[in-house]
Amino acid sequence: MTTRNVGQPFVRRDGRAKVTGEARYSYEVAVPDAVYGVLVTSGIAKGRIVEIDTSAAEREAGVLAVISHKNALRLPGEPHLEGPDRVVQALQDDRIRYSNQPIAVAVADTFERAVHAAMLVRVNAEVAAHTVRVEDELHNAFPHKIMAGGKLQEPDESHGDVAAGLVAGAARVEEAYETPFETHNPLEPHATVASWSGDRLTVYDASQWVFAVKKKLAKGFGIPPENVRVVTKFVGGAFGCKGSAWSHVVIAALAAKQVARPVKLALSRHQMFGPVGGRPRTRQKVAVAAQRDGKLTAIRHETVSPTSRFDVFVEASALQARHLYASPNIESRHRIVRLDIGTPTFMRAPGESSGSFALESAMDELAHRLEMDPLALRLASYAEKDPADGKPFSSKSLRACYQEGARRFGWEKRPRTPRSQTRSGQFVGMGMATAMYPANFAPAQALARMLPDGSAQVESGTIDLGTGAYTVFAQIAADELGLPFEKVRFDLGDSDMPEAPIAAGSMTAASVGSAVLVASRALRDRLIRTAIVDSASPLHGLAPIEIRAEDGRLVATSGKSDSYVELIRRAGGKPIEERGKTAPGDEREKFSMHGFGAHFAEVLVDPDLGTVHVSRMVGVFATGRILNARTARSQFLGGMVWGIGMALHEHSVFDEKLGRIMTRDLSDYHVAVNADVGSIEPLFLEEEDAHVDPAGVKGAGELGLCGAAAAIANAVFNATGKRIRELPITPDKLL
Amino acid sequence: MIPSSFDYHAPATLAEAVALLGKYPEDAKVLSGGQSLLPLLKLRLGQAGHLIDIGKIPGLEYIKEEGGMLRIGGRTRESALERSEIVQKRYPILVDTAKVIADPIVRNLATVGGNLAHGDPGNDHPATMLALGAQVVAMGKSGERVIPIDKFFLGLFRTALQPDEILTEIRIPAPVEGSGGAYVKLERKVGDYATAASAAYVVIGTQGFVERAGIGLTNLGPTPIKATAAEKYLIGKKPETAALAEAARIAAQATEPSADRRGAVEYKREMARVLTGRALKKAVERAGGK
Ligand SMILES: Cc1cc2nc3c(=O)[nH]c(=O)nc-3n(C[C@H](O)[C@H](O)[C@H](O)COP(=O)(O)OP(=O)(O)OC[C@H]3O[C@@H](n4cnc5c(N)ncnc54)[C@H](O)[C@@H]3O)c2cc1C
Repeated sequence: MTTRNVGQPFVRRDGRAKVTGEARYSYEVAVPDAVYGVLVTSGIAKGRIVEIDTSAAEREAGVLAVISHKNALRLPGEPHLEGPDRVVQALQDDRIRYSNQPIAVAVADTFERAVHAAMLVRVNAEVAAHTVRVEDELHNAFPHKIMAGGKLQEPDESHGDVAAGLVAGAARVEEAYETPFETHNPLEPHATVASWSGDRLTVYDASQWVFAVKKKLAKGFGIPPENVRVVTKFVGGAFGCKGSAWSHVVIAALAAKQVARPVKLALSRHQMFGPVGGRPRTRQKVAVAAQRDGKLTAIRHETVSPTSRFDVFVEASALQARHLYASPNIESRHRIVRLDIGTPTFMRAPGESSGSFALESAMDELAHRLEMDPLALRLASYAEKDPADGKPFSSKSLRACYQEGARRFGWEKRPRTPRSQTRSGQFVGMGMATAMYPANFAPAQALARMLPDGSAQVESGTIDLGTGAYTVFAQIAADELGLPFEKVRFDLGDSDMPEAPIAAGSMTAASVGSAVLVASRALRDRLIRTAIVDSASPLHGLAPIEIRAEDGRLVATSGKSDSYVELIRRAGGKPIEERGKTAPGDEREKFSMHGFGAHFAEVLVDPDLGTVHVSRMVGVFATGRILNARTARSQFLGGMVWGIGMALHEHSVFDEKLGRIMTRDLSDYHVAVNADVGSIEPLFLEEEDAHVDPAGVKGAGELGLCGAAAAIANAVFNATGKRIRELPITPDKLL
Repeated sequence: MIPSSFDYHAPATLAEAVALLGKYPEDAKVLSGGQSLLPLLKLRLGQAGHLIDIGKIPGLEYIKEEGGMLRIGGRTRESALERSEIVQKRYPILVDTAKVIADPIVRNLATVGGNLAHGDPGNDHPATMLALGAQVVAMGKSGERVIPIDKFFLGLFRTALQPDEILTEIRIPAPVEGSGGAYVKLERKVGDYATAASAAYVVIGTQGFVERAGIGLTNLGPTPIKATAAEKYLIGKKPETAALAEAARIAAQATEPSADRRGAVEYKREMARVLTGRALKKAVERAGGK
C-alpha cells in the first residue's frame, strides 16, 4: 500500500471541536424532554437497607421520582454478559455490598433539583462487618482464570525447576512489592442518557464499547438487541473504567422507563471511587537469580489482588514474567481474595503496569547485587524467542530500543553508586526498565463508501477515547482509496455501525485499522471492477492488476484514468459501498506478539525533604507500524506521565474502619500535572510486522506505561540507595 | 456539588458593601476571588444567605510603595503580585509565596486579601506576612482601622475582622539595608496546600549581627504560627550555620501539627525544622550576608 497518509502527524480531527466545546460528550447530547437523575450511594461498606425514606425528597418541587429497591421495576433479565463485563447493582435488592454502591436515584426536572432531592433521601441500614484489607483474607486466597488479551489464561504457569534455579544463581533477589488501589479518574465522569420509545431504547453513554452496552441492556430489559442503540461520539478519557456498563447505566435506563422521560445521569467525582472499578491493590513476590554473567537461572513472580464478593477481576501482574526474559526456569502465580469492595477492573496496562513495577524493580536489585549495569543484565537474558512456549516473536526490536534509549538518555553517565552525584543540592539518580505489552487483535468490521462527489465515508462502531481513532482510520482509508486525507470522513461510536471490539487492550488501531483497511481495499477493488466492465470508462477491459488508485482516480499503468466522480455518475449516481471484516487467524498460534520498549528516567531527590522530581525521561518503543506520528507520540507521552503519577502519587487510600476510599476527589487523589513533569521524550522505532494483523500495528496505548514506574523507582534507588518496594514513593518513605 | 441558595450583591462602593454586611449580620459573606469561599459553599461545609461581591468596587486592586510601605490593595490578585515589577525586585519573598499557591488558573482569581481573611492555616500568605510584620487595614461601619498581623489570626478560620469589616489593604514595611526574606514550601505535588512551609525575614546590621528576625509557619497548627522564640533567639547572633540551625530547631518546637493525609505529627515537625533552616539560609543570602 502507498503510505502518503499513514504515518503522517495529522492533528486530531476531534481536537478543535473539543477545545472549542463544540464536541458533545454523552451527557451533553441534547435530548428533548430529558430529566436528570442523581444517584444516592451507600455510606457503609456492607449490610442491608432496612428503611429508605424518600418522602422529603419526593415533596420537593420538580422531583419526578425517587427510585430505590422498594419501587424499582424488576428487571426481566440479568444485565450481565460473558467476557469482560461487570456485575451491577441496579436497585434490585436491599443488599449493600460495598461503599458508594448506588442504592437509589432521584429524578427531577433540573440537575440542581435532582442533586437536592438526592441529598434529602434518608437511609437506615443494618450494618454488617466488612473487610477491605487484603491481609485479612489472605488465608482464603484462590486461583482464578484470567481474562486477558481477549482469552482466558491460566493463573499459574511453570516450567523448569525454579527452586533449583534460584539456588543455582550466583546472586538472588527475593522480595515483596506492593502497588496500591488506584482509581481511573478520566476528566469526563461516567455519564449515561437513556431514552425509551415504546420498547426501543436509545442510550448515549460514556463508553469504550457500545456493543456491549447494547447487549447488556437488551438482556436486562428483556428486549431484542436490535431494539437498543448506543451512541458514544466523544469520550473524555476512560482508561478501562468505561469498558463495561456499570450499575448507573442500567439505572439510567430503568429510571427513564419508570418516569417515562429520557433521563440524564452522570456520576459525581466522589461517585467515581468504588462503584466503577479501579486498579486493585497488588501484593507481589518476585524471586530472580542469575549467574555472574547475568544469565537468569530462575524467575518466580507471584501476586495476590482483591476482587469483590460478587464478581471476579484478576490483576494479571505476573503474566509478563512468562514472556519477558530468557530463563530455563520460570514460574508465575496469580491469587485473588474477596473483599467488600466494588469490583476492580482493567486500568491502563492492567497487570503489566503493576507487575512490571515488581519484576523490573527486582531485576534492578539483582543487577545491583551482581554489580552489573542493569541494562547489561537485561541484555544477558534477552529472549530471542518467547520463553513461555518457544514461539518466535512476530517482530521484536527491543535490543534497538535499549540501544537508542541509552544513547539518547546518556545512560553511560549514570552514577555508579547511590548518593554520588548531586545537582543543586539534590541527589541525581538514573534508572531504566523494560516495557512489554501484548499486541492484541480482535475481530472487527468496517464499512467504506464512495460518495458521488468523489469523497469517501468510512465507519465502524469503535470509540475514539481521545486516542485519535477519528483521524488515523481516515488516514488508512485514504491511502487504500488513493484519496487525500481531507476527502475521507471516518465516523464511529454508534452500535448501528459495523461491529467493533472494545476500545481497550491497545487493540483498536490493530483491529479496527485492519477492518478499515480490508473494507477500503474491497471498495477500491469493486470500483476497479466497475470501471473495467463499464464500456464508457477509459479503463474498460483492462486487467485489475494494471490499475491503481491515486489522487481520487483510478489510474492504469498506461496512464489512462477514470475519476471516482465520473465512475459513480455513470454507474447511476448512487454511493457505492463495501464492508470489511477481520479476525485473528492462525498466525497467533505460530508467533508470540508483543510491543516492546525501554524506559530511562532521571530523578532529583531532595536529601532532607525526600521529594522526588522526575527531571527527565526517555522512552523508546517499537510497536509495529505507526499510523500517525503525532497521536502515537501522545499515547506514549501519556503513558510515561501516567508512570510518574503511578510512581509518585496515585493512591486510593481506604479508611479501613469505614470501608471506603478517603481520597475521593482530585485534591486528594493525586495525578501528575504539567508542573510535576520534567522533560519527557518518547520515541518510536518503526517495525515491519507481516504477521501481527493486516494493518501491521501492535498498539501504543498502554506500552508507554509498562515499566515506567519501575524506571523511576530504580532511579530513586540510584539516587538515594533506598529501595522503595511499595508505591507510591512519597517523601516520608525516603527519610 | 451545588451550594445552597444565596442572594448575590455587587455593590459599587466600599460604603455600600459595608452597609450590606451590616444589614445581614451573621448571614453575609464577602466574596473576593471566590477560590476558598465557593468550594466551601459547594461542598456545603459552609453556608451564606448573602454574598457581597467586592469585585465591582473600584480602587481595591493595586500594588505600590508609599510612605515607606508596600501597599497591596485588598482585592489584588495573586497573579498580579507574582508579576509586579516592584515585588519581583524588592520583595522576592512575596514572589516565593505567590508562585507556590495553587496553580496559575486559581491565582488569576484568588486575592491576597482573601488569602489572609479566610484565616486558613493552610494558606501561604499568612506565614509570609507574619515574618514580614505586615499590617492589615480593615474598613467597617465605624471607619478604618489598622490591625498588626500578629493580632490578626485568632483561630481556625477566625480572624480579627468584624463581620461587617472589609480588608482593604495590606501594608508591608519597605526593605531596609541588609534585609532579606524567603518562603519555602513542601507540597505533596505541585499545586497542593503545604505539608509544611516556612517564611523567614531577617535584617542584618552593618556589624553582621541579626537585628530583626521574622519567622512564620504554614499548616503546622490551628492558626498560622509566628515562631517568636526562634525570632528572639536570632537577635544579636551572627547568621551562621549553627545559629540558623538552632533557630530552625526552636521554631519547630512552636508547631502544633495534626496528623492527616499529609503526614504524621513528628514528620511535619521535622519538616518545619528543615524548611525553616532553608528559608533562613535563603533570607540571609538575600540580605547579602553570604
Ligand atoms: C484548587 C485550589 C488550590 C489552592 N491552593 C492553595 C495553596 O496552595 N495555598 C494557598 O495559600 N491558597 C490556596 N488556595 C486558596 C486560594 O489561594 C484562596 O482562594 C485565596 O487564598 C482566597 O482568596 P479569594 O480571593 O479567593 O477569597 P474568597 O474565596 O473570595 O474568600 C475567602 C474568605 O475570605 C473572606 N474575604 C475575602 N476577601 C475579603 C476581604 N477583602 N475582606 C473581608 N473578608 C474577605 C470571604 O468572606 C471568605 O470567607 C487554593 C484554592 C484552590 C481552589
